[in-house]
Amino acid sequence: MKLGELSRVSTVRLLPVYGVLFVLWSVLLIGWVQYDTKRYLSGVVDEILRQRMHYLSHIDRDRLPEAMEQTDALDLRGVMLYGLFDGAGNKITGNIQQIPDGVSLDGEVHFLPGGAQQMGAKQPVRARGLARDIGNGEVLILARATSVLDQVNTIIYRSLLWGLTLTIIPGLIGGLWLARGPLRRIRALESAAQPIMRGDLHQRLPISGRRDELDMLAGIVNSMLEEIERLMSEVKGVCDSIAHDLRTPLTRLRSQLHRMHRETIDGPHAAVLEQAILDVDSLLDRFRALLRISELEDMHRREGFTEVHLSSTLDHVREIYTPLAEDKHITFSFEVAPDVPSVRGDPNLLLEAVSNIVDNAIKFTPAGGSIHLRLTREAQAGARIDVIDSGPGIRSCERDSVLQRFYRGACSSKDVSGSGLGLSIVAAIVKLHGFQLRIVDNPAGGAWFSLSSEPGGGQLRPGAQ
Amino acid sequence: MARVLIIEDDRVTADEICAELQRYGLDTDWVGDGETGLERARGGFYDAITLDRMLPGMDGLTLVTRLREYGVQTPVLMISALSDADERVRGLRAGGDDYLTKPFNPDEMAARIEVLLRRHAGASRPMILRVGDLQLDLIDRTVKRGDTPLDLLPTEFRLLEFLMRHSGRVLTRTMIFEAVWGYHFDPGTNVIEVHIGRLRRKLDPPDREPLIHTVRGVGYVLEAR
Repeated sequence: MKLGELSRVSTVRLLPVYGVLFVLWSVLLIGWVQYDTKRYLSGVVDEILRQRMHYLSHIDRDRLPEAMEQTDALDLRGVMLYGLFDGAGNKITGNIQQIPDGVSLDGEVHFLPGGAQQMGAKQPVRARGLARDIGNGEVLILARATSVLDQVNTIIYRSLLWGLTLTIIPGLIGGLWLARGPLRRIRALESAAQPIMRGDLHQRLPISGRRDELDMLAGIVNSMLEEIERLMSEVKGVCDSIAHDLRTPLTRLRSQLHRMHRETIDGPHAAVLEQAILDVDSLLDRFRALLRISELEDMHRREGFTEVHLSSTLDHVREIYTPLAEDKHITFSFEVAPDVPSVRGDPNLLLEAVSNIVDNAIKFTPAGGSIHLRLTREAQAGARIDVIDSGPGIRSCERDSVLQRFYRGACSSKDVSGSGLGLSIVAAIVKLHGFQLRIVDNPAGGAWFSLSSEPGGGQLRPGAQ
Repeated sequence: MARVLIIEDDRVTADEICAELQRYGLDTDWVGDGETGLERARGGFYDAITLDRMLPGMDGLTLVTRLREYGVQTPVLMISALSDADERVRGLRAGGDDYLTKPFNPDEMAARIEVLLRRHAGASRPMILRVGDLQLDLIDRTVKRGDTPLDLLPTEFRLLEFLMRHSGRVLTRTMIFEAVWGYHFDPGTNVIEVHIGRLRRKLDPPDREPLIHTVRGVGYVLEAR
């Protein structure tokens, strides 16, 4: 499975979008939790400080240092900072050396921008604190380190980081892994669709039974195929039964005309009868060809196939058609490469196919033109027959149509006889063999039919003649 | 007079076959089912049989197989609505001598019966064929019209051989194509026409009586008239 292909699967396309959304949402959520926690913990700290201040400020001035020391004794974690300072800012008692910067004496808890430094500590710590004038110019300061808050912050950030990492990486891997499933099923659908695209309408797309989107889609396509198959067989059935039913009365008509013609061989209506017989003949030829095509299309078995040496097929074609080409003053040239491998097929049908192409080429190439018949070896041990003529060629827009029943190219003038079924027979034979028929432009002008035993293989080499 | 047994369950087709063969001066007998057909065919006294592939009672393939098992070698023309190439092979393998698909051209049917009759009667295959002043030597592969040697291409030689072996009989396009090239499909009017035309130019110089005659809408016949 190629990476480029994987990247186009919708699951994989959605992965980065989901990833970004997930990160944003997580950050938002954790941010809110962090903000709320911090607010709550700050509130708790502030409450403690206010209570302590309330308690201390109602104690006798004489007993204050002692009460403060007791407070200190209760503070096992050493997060309480306190101090009593005189009007000049000198310490009377407490565990801080000096009044921290930015303290206001309003009795409200504030964040201390400069922090507070405990005695014996190397540096100040982040703290919240409040100060109060307790009379005589003396100032009581209480502060509490916010290290708990910081720790909670750290915990929250760390959990955010780990959470994201642990979610996004397995998520990405899992997403890619999940994307392979649908891709594999698309592959299966694709390979099931191949024969359908080649015209085998009996095939259906596989349904996994999971009833998911792909199953629903396959189900829709399958019911479409069912309908197409039904319509196709209806059309074909109508076509065949018309041809079949009309053939018998036409044959009788023909033999009656023939009998009449024989009886009035020198009569006044002989010419009319003759023309009528010819017309019935061409009708019968058309019906025969139509039924032949549908017979070929219905053939599925290939048991009757043998090793066919296309060089001998070409020899026969040369033998059969050289006089026709010569009569029309067309140069009929041959080129048979040595060591062309044999192909598996029905020799009778393959000759019919090549004959039809050559017959067509002779029909459409004007007098003085040329037809080149070539047998070459294909790249992967296949064989290829090219029929290259110098006729008017087949316009690219008509190349598919000429293989359809009854289609006759715009260039086919009225005086070129034909039912328009010859190339349809060729197409049916080619399809039965699993070969490929391509029609291209002869660079020197004219049509170029290429019949290859390797479907899809081999490029046409320009510079034909 | 040659007698032909017609084993065919469809009355209209049978009538058609009878009428056409009688026109060629042949005696015809008709039976409508396989069992009776086999009995009559075993009884002998027939020079050729036309046999429908699908019959009530016993189908054509079984019938012809049985017939050959009994050692009856009467030539059989199998007539079938199944035009598939495999069906043809099956019919011929079972012991049929020729195969024709329905609906058929009565002339074609009659021409094929004539060829079968000839093949059956003239079991000896002469190595020198003669029609009028035309002579074809199969051993040293030469052709002469009167005293003039004719220079023929291999295809032309095969074509002429076939025409001469069945001289006086009408041969259809498909019969000629089958016999000369061994393929079973209709190559279209033009192909055989052109080949016959070339042979005719070599065979029938302007100062001589033509030997190859076109039977309009049917085929060709080689004979000295």
